[in-house]
Amino acid sequence: MKSGEMHVQYDAIGGAGLQFFGKVSASIAHELKNVLAIINENAGLLEDLSYAAQRGSAIDPERLNRACLQFTKQIQRADGIMKNMSRFAHSVDVFDAQVALHELVCLVANLAGRLAAMRKLTIEVTPAAIPIAFSGNPFLLQNLIWLCLEFAFGATSAGSTLLLALAKNETGITLRISGIDSLENNFPSRMPAGYEDLLAALGAKLSVDKDTKELILDLP
Amino acid sequence: MHVLLVDDEKEFVNTLAERLSFRGFKVDYAIRALDALALAEKNVYDLAVLDMKMPGTNGLELKGLLEKIQKDMKFIFLTGHGSEADYVAGSSESACYLVKPVKIDALIAKMLEAVKP
Repeated sequence: MKSGEMHVQYDAIGGAGLQFFGKVSASIAHELKNVLAIINENAGLLEDLSYAAQRGSAIDPERLNRACLQFTKQIQRADGIMKNMSRFAHSVDVFDAQVALHELVCLVANLAGRLAAMRKLTIEVTPAAIPIAFSGNPFLLQNLIWLCLEFAFGATSAGSTLLLALAKNETGITLRISGIDSLENNFPSRMPAGYEDLLAALGAKLSVDKDTKELILDLP
Repeated sequence: MHVLLVDDEKEFVNTLAERLSFRGFKVDYAIRALDALALAEKNVYDLAVLDMKMPGTNGLELKGLLEKIQKDMKFIFLTGHGSEADYVAGSSESACYLVKPVKIDALIAKMLEAVKP
């Protein structure tokens, strides 16, 4: 790996990359805490039932079964969170890779899912008609899509669905984020800090279509 | 003691409610702020245990809304924040909060302390 070249790319985006990494890590930590809390309560419940049984109370097998099912369910949930975390963490390992764009967009949508839920928003990703590959720095692109979603979260009413759709055209690749309520001409002033450096680093362009309520990210 | 638990993680809040019931507490729970407010309109609670981060209305906002319905209600906050030190540094509500996963004995101790006259 040409680490010097990689550092130049990350230096170009300043603190934005570190902030992005921190936000995603904090969100994952919070979600894992919830998983642990559910496992903790169900383990405690089994202790309570065992204690009661030792004193002669009957145990409802159905209640035991439900507690055990929660362990399985929460372990699967944690496994999914950790898989996403691992993919995200390893995205900084390469700076010039060819990646499947649908998978990359789905990963960012999953990572942002909890923040969307906090705002009572849903994110959906529509698969492209054909597989689309992106060549470049996957971490920077994830960071840019995350900032676009942050902007969309702030400009969309609770209860809405944000739809992410990819398409390939003659000049490159387009990612459209639709369902945004409030798109104004001055949208750049409302974008989170750091997005311009990411656009420059990726050679990308960001625009809006007020009629279709879409934020449009054009990638080379 | 009549307790209202509010957390958007249903599997967490219903199991905690069950465990507190085993210990003699009268417990209702809600997974949405609106449902919690509806319960508070119908019942008198000594204490509410609120998750800090919930979709839409967060714990602190819900506290304010519940206080408008029942001004004497006491509050304990639960949070998924990474460390106690982080939370103490960042919150003015640190006197009445616990970090998930919570030990039930620690929660009950906080609950009893909170309702002490």
